[in-house]
Amino acid sequence: MTVERKLDYFEDGAEIPDAVIDELLREARQRLTPALDRIRRPLVRVAVIDSGIGRLLAAHSTRGLVALRFMDGDDSADVLAALRRRFDVIEDHSLAAEIGGEIEALMGGDPSAISARAVDLSLVESDFQRRALSRLRRVPAGSVISYQALAAAVGVPSGQRAIGNTVASNPIPIYVPCHRVIRSDGSLGNYGGGPERKLKLLRAEGFAVDVRRRMPAEAVYGHWSSRIYCRPTCTAVHRADRRKWLIFADSERARRFGMRACKLCRPA
Amino acid sequence: MDAEAKLNLPPSFDEAIHRHEREITRFILRATRDREDALDLFQETWLRAYRAYRQLDSAEGLRPWLFRIASNLCLNRKRDRARRARVIADSELREEHAGTVGPIHEKAIHLKALLSRLPNKQRQALVMRKFGGLEYSEIAAALECSEEAARAGVYLAMKKLKAE
Repeated sequence: MTVERKLDYFEDGAEIPDAVIDELLREARQRLTPALDRIRRPLVRVAVIDSGIGRLLAAHSTRGLVALRFMDGDDSADVLAALRRRFDVIEDHSLAAEIGGEIEALMGGDPSAISARAVDLSLVESDFQRRALSRLRRVPAGSVISYQALAAAVGVPSGQRAIGNTVASNPIPIYVPCHRVIRSDGSLGNYGGGPERKLKLLRAEGFAVDVRRRMPAEAVYGHWSSRIYCRPTCTAVHRADRRKWLIFADSERARRFGMRACKLCRPA
Repeated sequence: MDAEAKLNLPPSFDEAIHRHEREITRFILRATRDREDALDLFQETWLRAYRAYRQLDSAEGLRPWLFRIASNLCLNRKRDRARRARVIADSELREEHAGTVGPIHEKAIHLKALLSRLPNKQRQALVMRKFGGLEYSEIAAALECSEEAARAGVYLAMKKLKAE
């Protein structure tokens, strides 16, 4: 007997009718679904965005934006591998348009969409870091805060180093505005995406700081517990706890944030 | 903005199931010829695939990768069965079968015996090609060898079977 004949048995026998497959599949699916649901991980959509400040990889869960990474060079593999350890990851082009549009709006001077988008901090390691980043989200566009002041704001007055680490490992730059954290002496400090990007973002938000650590002449200091803003030269600025100051690009922005002008120095 | 796939990620897992569940079912049923076994292995294939899905890094690799998982599981099952069956003496087995099955079944038993004597890679290649209906490129991916090697494996296996 030839092999072809021997194999024929299987080939013939293997012509399994569709009805048999259908019936088997129905039962197989019924068994699989609950078993799969027990081990399923959260779903995350990812997309590559070519934005005005460089190429980015965005990841969005059902709860909000979970990660945003500058992709200088081609390090998407690392970022993806890290995401896929925690989530089921699928590519979704519509996300690129959404997030890309919001970043474009920010660069054009409108930060509203970015602050309105929900963020998912599940990639953040510790509770302290989560608190710090949530607090940072409330620092409005057009203002900056020092590492020290942010540390004080989350209840750890001497935690500026920890804040530095937290901000450096921020998984969602731009949306959690770590570019709005600067040094107490007014210099820009570092940035995960490079200091030029920090400068570019701050300028787009109307904060005309320059590389040589100079605050714009119109900048005012806002005290967040008294809700009063002052000129940088005001005696109140020197007297009050400097861990409570936010620096606004100008008076207009401080007022928009709900602050009133100091009666001593009478800023514009 | 360019809407092309830039990451070339595999589809969502549910989409993967949706696309390939029929052919995987068919493949497993052909390999096991047993309903309960097929149901079991179907479940095991997809659960194992789910756990390892993050390691799959391109959309093209999906189909051969799934077949590799299914085919490995089928082979494991066969090996375990064979181990258990060895406890029963060969003669006993023959007696048992003599009255109940026709010549066609015997041919099948004979073929199974022939197949089991083939080297692993050649057998897998043959099974995937002849029973699974896979392309050589997919077999190559499943066995982690070149397309030529897959082709050669099937050819050598056929040659050995013909010699019997």
